[in-house]
Amino acid sequence: MQIRDYVLRRLMVLPLLVIGTSIIVFALTRVGGSPIGIYLSHEMSQDEIAQLEERFKLNEPLPVQYVYWASGVLQGDLGWSGVAAAPVTEAFPPKLAATMELAVASAIVAVTLGIGLGTFAGARRNRFPDHFTRIFSISGASMPLFWFAILMLIVFWVFLGWFPIGRSDADIFQSIAHPTNLYTVDAILAGSWPAFVDAIWHLTLPALTLGYGATAIISRMMRSSLVEELQEEYVDAARAKGLPERIVLRRHARRNALMPTVTVIGLSFGFLLQGTVVAEIIFRWPGLGRWMADAVLRGDQATIMAYVMFTSILFLFVNLAVDVLYAYLDRRVVLGV
Amino acid sequence: MTAGTKRAGHTRWLVLLLVLAMVAAACTSSDDDGGDTTAPSDDGTTETTAGGDGDAPATTAGGDGDSDVNNPGVFVFGADDEPLSLDPAEVEAGEYGEAVILQVYDRLVDFAAGSPDLVPSLATEVPSAENGLISEDGLVYTFPIREGVTFHDGSPLTADDVLYSWDRVITTSLPGSSAELLSENVADMQVVDEFTFQVTLAERNAAFLNSVVTQMVTSIVSDEVVEANGGYAEGERNEFVATNPIGTGPYVFEAWNRNENLVFTANQDYWGGAPALDLRIEVVQDPDVRVLGLRAGDFDMIETDPSFIGDLEGAEGVEVFTGGLLVEPIHIGFNMNVPEDELPPEDTISGDFFADPLIRQAFNHAFDYEAFLNSALGGVGDFNSHYIPQGIFGYDPDAPKYTAADPARAEELFREAGVWDEGFTVSVITEAANLFETAALVLKDSIERLNPNFQIRVLAVAEAQFDEAHASDPVPYAMWVKNADPFADPHAYMQAYQHPDGEWGQVHGFAQAYRNPDQIASLIDEAKVEIDVERRAELYSELQNLLYEDPMWLIAAQEGVANAHRTWVEGFTLNTLWPRPNMKFSLFDK
Repeated sequence: MQIRDYVLRRLMVLPLLVIGTSIIVFALTRVGGSPIGIYLSHEMSQDEIAQLEERFKLNEPLPVQYVYWASGVLQGDLGWSGVAAAPVTEAFPPKLAATMELAVASAIVAVTLGIGLGTFAGARRNRFPDHFTRIFSISGASMPLFWFAILMLIVFWVFLGWFPIGRSDADIFQSIAHPTNLYTVDAILAGSWPAFVDAIWHLTLPALTLGYGATAIISRMMRSSLVEELQEEYVDAARAKGLPERIVLRRHARRNALMPTVTVIGLSFGFLLQGTVVAEIIFRWPGLGRWMADAVLRGDQATIMAYVMFTSILFLFVNLAVDVLYAYLDRRVVLGV
Repeated sequence: MTAGTKRAGHTRWLVLLLVLAMVAAACTSSDDDGGDTTAPSDDGTTETTAGGDGDAPATTAGGDGDSDVNNPGVFVFGADDEPLSLDPAEVEAGEYGEAVILQVYDRLVDFAAGSPDLVPSLATEVPSAENGLISEDGLVYTFPIREGVTFHDGSPLTADDVLYSWDRVITTSLPGSSAELLSENVADMQVVDEFTFQVTLAERNAAFLNSVVTQMVTSIVSDEVVEANGGYAEGERNEFVATNPIGTGPYVFEAWNRNENLVFTANQDYWGGAPALDLRIEVVQDPDVRVLGLRAGDFDMIETDPSFIGDLEGAEGVEVFTGGLLVEPIHIGFNMNVPEDELPPEDTISGDFFADPLIRQAFNHAFDYEAFLNSALGGVGDFNSHYIPQGIFGYDPDAPKYTAADPARAEELFREAGVWDEGFTVSVITEAANLFETAALVLKDSIERLNPNFQIRVLAVAEAQFDEAHASDPVPYAMWVKNADPFADPHAYMQAYQHPDGEWGQVHGFAQAYRNPDQIASLIDEAKVEIDVERRAELYSELQNLLYEDPMWLIAAQEGVANAHRTWVEGFTLNTLWPRPNMKFSLFDK
């Protein structure tokens, strides 16, 4: 089957999967009770509550409620987020941008540290630096994020005062426009050096914390594949040619060792996205994770629905992309729905 | 070649070691600091301010040479919550929007700092019978309006704005708002002249100034601003006013960055004198982070959970204030009006189980008050089993109270009520993971230890789920835990929480449960309109004595005020009658 046909067939099935997912998620969120609670206050009379229920169609049977919800979604109405005090569609983009900015920054930290440490250790196998980096990276993976994040705050915010928390300085935030809500990008677009420094300065601590956790798996993978590569005959050949060890390592062995590591890097991005929930709460990062945590605690079902649907659809597309990519990279893979 | 590579490897190794050494040094210095900060202190205060280690990279120093303080020129408050609406006509009592409205808007009269006395605000005099601004029949209130006051947009304040503001609240009458405070009390309003406003009440109300005119719902908005931005109509919220407060108050609203902060600048033209500092309210839900921020010096003051006081006492540069009581008693409700088939299936009680005053008394005797106060509230608070909180007029310190567990008496009462042998299972619903849940757990422990046949099921649920149950009529649970809404006058408490025809009286079925509902109702009604202060106090005292024998609530405790701030904060004062966090930031300097 041609890749194009395959993609088209998968895309046609996609809406069915989305609808199926939404029905399951809708039913599951309703298990926790009616979503009316988030709209209620203690001051409301029974009449007012009844009016609200009528307005949001919450007095209708569940399937009818689903249809109202789904038709709202088709019209771009994902409901009102009690937590964000705004329509979900309005609150979502800036929070998504905040989460993505943090996840990408953490990935940069994890990849740089992971590949760097892995190479460093792999080239010094079973020597002290190898043992040390092993301890360093394994501690990153084994320390619970919520605990490590607080520790980082205590050291770098409270005692050293090197890094602030939150996402930006209040005055600097107001000094430039935020068309993308990626503050580093916004600062570049506005051509404001102080805003850029401020954005990076605020990103550093959460990105280091989150990235450190993902470093372990990358550096371990990098180390073991590098060790493997270094035992290959082509490495001996390169050395025999008289190439400097640095060149052998960088140009030959490391490049090949990177292949399996890249797969792991892809996987660890998922870990980073999950980790943002904890990191966002502790570092006061106004992203999707913190919003979602608040929504779950307060029973804000519109937000929960939107978030779960967003991640489901994301996964459906990522799955599709991965399948297609596999087929593209390895022609032996047979495509079929 | 090999030697060169090795040397390069050594260099990198040295650099790494150097970095690690720096981190280690940083950790060591932090350990030292940690050692100092745990030093106990009797009064919870220290004289020193934070040294270099607590300083965030400083911005420019303030004009008056405050180089020792962080964020000079701006007061930074770490709040535990975020507003939902900043519109006086929409804000719900107890909601965080009230805290912002207090800073941005003014009302006609206000509570003085640190005392329950009324002081003039946008009215130049507090109406009283003596100054002739309250008519002899107690129905007509005249407010002379302050001249020369301008709103933040520059428009001048007149009596028309006052009329407009109050009329807007009554007309829009938004669900959840406190509109009924005005609509139920006010019969007529008129502008006498440009700077005189007059209100006629529907009936005499001794609490009109205390419990209506001081409340955030009566804040004065600018008719020009509202009219230019959507005006008002019945049942319709005004998105502009809800997010852009423009008042006459000490702070000018600048920005609301959702889930992050609210930014204000000092109103340089404030009629009461410009505040010394600008203001930023940072929204920090995680209590650990608030505490760390205070220690770092990034926050000047934070909302403190009483359980954190131990951590903060003796911290360098931090002062912990405890004192005074919140007027929001933490209560466990007895519901006598629940259809049996609506109770959770595990409950073995009948729908009117709590209609027996002996059982209600027994619960009140069984509860371990001390355990609750010392655990959930960290000892910050006081016992008060009555629905007139300490600090509110009419509180009778001599009336009998439930303040200590008396298991023997509880057992006697349970036996007398005839439930001792067969026992019971009853569910209590509460929000999860806060001090209400702790109250429910203390109740469970207190009751279950009396008799193995007694079972209390604690249903700790998400806030929205609790709110749904709490707002239902009938409430489908026999018991629930929450705190009361704060009021400034005893009548508001009595009406809402004790009157057989009041808000909870109707929902919980007090009329079928009181030994003598008519007597309670007539005492509450009489006290409402009694203008003679002594007689009014006597009536409330009588009520408190009666209600001891016939309790409709189990009041776990009256929570104390805990506040933690940097020692550099000057002019600290609060008033529990102001909305939570009970602070006017314009009074502070640093």
